[in-house]
Order: sequence, then structure tokens, then C-alpha cells
Amino acid sequence: MIRKERKVSDMHNGKLLEAAVAAIREHADELTALDQAIGDGDHGINMKRGFDALAEAAGELERLELPAALQKAGMILVMKVGGASGPLYGSLLMAMGKAAAHPPASADDVAGMLKAGIEAVKARGRSDAGAKTMLDVLIPVLQALESHPEDPCAAAVRAADDGLEATRGMLATKGRASFLGERSIGHLDPGARSSALLVHAICNVLEDS
Amino acid sequence: MTGNVSIVIVSHSPKVAEGTADMVRQMVGEEVRLAHCGGDPDGGLGTNVGAIMEAIEAVYSPKGVAILVDLGGAETNSEMAREMLPAEKAAHVAICNAPLVEGAIMAATEASGGADLEAVRATAEEFQA
Amino acid sequence: MTETVTGKVVITDPAGLHARPAVKLTKLAKSFASDIDIRAGEDGGWINAKSPSAVMKLKARHGTTLHVRATGADAQGGVDALVDLVKRGFG
Repeated sequence: MIRKERKVSDMHNGKLLEAAVAAIREHADELTALDQAIGDGDHGINMKRGFDALAEAAGELERLELPAALQKAGMILVMKVGGASGPLYGSLLMAMGKAAAHPPASADDVAGMLKAGIEAVKARGRSDAGAKTMLDVLIPVLQALESHPEDPCAAAVRAADDGLEATRGMLATKGRASFLGERSIGHLDPGARSSALLVHAICNVLEDS
Repeated sequence: MTGNVSIVIVSHSPKVAEGTADMVRQMVGEEVRLAHCGGDPDGGLGTNVGAIMEAIEAVYSPKGVAILVDLGGAETNSEMAREMLPAEKAAHVAICNAPLVEGAIMAATEASGGADLEAVRATAEEFQA
Repeated sequence: MTETVTGKVVITDPAGLHARPAVKLTKLAKSFASDIDIRAGEDGGWINAKSPSAVMKLKARHGTTLHVRATGADAQGGVDALVDLVKRGFG
């Protein structure tokens, strides 16, 4: 019953998952430190809990095709992460999974998925670009994919880094960081940082394959 | 429709959730079904979608369920929990934009008199001490 | 013809109409079908006795005269019950 294209996507799922989990685990302390500066100091712990749960489900996730795998992974994050980032990342992945009817073949396909994911995050967080959130990484990454289909990975990584850095000067208007008002300026946003880490991890895998 | 609107209390802290539920019980009484949850999946501060869904299910009534939340993540996770319920149940769940403790007392008091979900939510939301 | 029934009672509870009594009074008012309003003192505005937030915000103090008025089939019962609750010190 195993079709050929399914095997290809199996391999991707496994590698993508492994890279994403490794990125979050390695940087959990850094995410927590960033969150201690402007949030409630649990972003690294929460994300690590969620991604540990993804690692535990790796066997099942690898057997699924990408759309189903993303939706399942999103559900796991929703249930396991604990903070607001659970529903935010969970909604991102679930919407991306729903938008991915087939294994994505081009930068355009990935951009379409990410666009759907971003809309879900905006709706869930009632937020948009410029509020010092993960969207300040994801939206520039989407724009990079759309405008550089010839070299999407390099453009996406650059956009993620620039987007992350831009959050430093932003005033937080969403989440716990918004309680700090002006004092939130000068710090990187932890959610933007975790999004940038994931963009890096995923692009590394895709570039190697 | 029989029965009263139920109340669900969601806090980052399991102790705050329990204490708020305790206040509602003592001040308003037993006529309103009440569930509470708090803490992340490891027992630290936080809220978690699975626990919120269980709390809603525990007291669910077609008359409605009013959820009172404390800070940001509690609201986001409650919205997520509501959306993950079957649509016919989700339609009878409202998240109140009100302070947790005061809102819970107000909502439960209103609910105890048999008010509908919209009235319970409005009562919780209009109270500003 | 529905008649309006009125009553009044001095709040003797040392803490006044504080949170717990406010909830009790609201719940009691809700158990009557009639419209029931209360006001604190002669000059206060009438508020709906069945509104938890309005009653909670009234913050009527010890020594204040609480006025009760009700309109409806069980108006007399409603006024009597509320006056009695305040007389008992909300016990």
C-alpha cells in the first residue's frame, strides 16, 4: 500500500521534525531568557515541552503524509505547550496542514501553506505585523518566498533574521510583554526568535535534500 | 431549556482557579455547575487546552457554559478549547471578558437565577469594581 | 392592574451591603417574578435588584436605609423577603 511519493514525504517529515525538535531543545534556555526579559519566562520551557511531545510522536508523524502530519503535530502542540504559544504554533501548523493538499513541490506551494498558517496565527492572536510577535518573522519569510522563488531558502533565512532583529525596536502590544509598554523596546521577541529558529532548521533540511 | 448556565474558571495557577471556585461555591451556592482548571501540563503556571476542554465537558449543558479567564494565554487556550469541541457544543460556550474572580461571582449569581448565556456573559462583563 | 409595593429597612450589618450579602440579595430577588428595584437612601437612584453587578456596585453602608419597590404578581412577597433578609443581617 505504500506509494512512492509517500515514501519521499516520509523521509522529509522525519528529517524536518528532527531538525525542528533539535533547534528548540538546543535553544530552550535562550528562549526562556528572552522571555524572562519581557514575558513570563516560560517560552523555552513550554516550547521544549511541546517539541519533546512531537519527538515522542515521531513514529506516528513520520508515517503520515505531510498535510496530516502537520495537523497532528499542530494538535500535539496545542495540547502540550501550555502557554499561549501552544494555540499559536498549533494553529499555524494545523492551518498549514489543511492548506497542503499534496506534498509541496515548489516555493509557491510552501508560500501558500505559510500564508494560510499566518492567517490562522493572526486570527488566534488577534494580531498582525509590527506588534513584536512571531508574525514579525513569519510575514517577512512569506514575502521572501513569494518574491524569491529562485532561491527561496536563502531568502527565507535572511528574512527571518532581519524580521527577528526588527522586533528589538518594536513596542509590544500583544501578550504579556505588552504590560511592559515602552520597556519592551530593546529586547528581541521570544516568539519571533523561536519562529526564526524553526525557519532556519527547516530551510537547512530542505537545502540539503 | 432547563437548568442553569454552567461556569468554568481558567487560571494560570491551579490554586487561584481552586480558590476562585471556592469563593463562587461559598458566595453563590450549589445551583450552578462549576468546573475549574489551571496550570500547565507539568503542573507549573500556565493553562492547557486539554484541561479546559475537560472542564467544559464536565459541566456542559445546552443552556450554556460561561468561561472566566485570567491572563492572555488563558483566553487564547480557552478559545482554542472551544473551537476543538464539536460545533454544536462550541456554539453554547462563551468566554467572558471580565476579571476572573469578580466575573465568576457575577456570572454565577446571574446564572443561578436561570438567565441565558448571553445575559450571564453580559453581567460578568459589565461589572467593574 | 399591577400595583407597586414598597418597603424600607435600615442596614444593620456592620459591613453594610458588602459582597456576599449583595449576592444573596440578588439571588433572592431573582426568585421572584416581579420587577424589583432597590435604592440606598432617599437620594440614590433606583437599581435593578436582580442585577448582580448593580447591587454589588451600590456599596450601601451600615446605617443606610435601603428602599425596595416591586411591581408584579408576587411584588408583596418580594419586598417582604428582601426587607427580611436585610433585617436578619443577611443571615
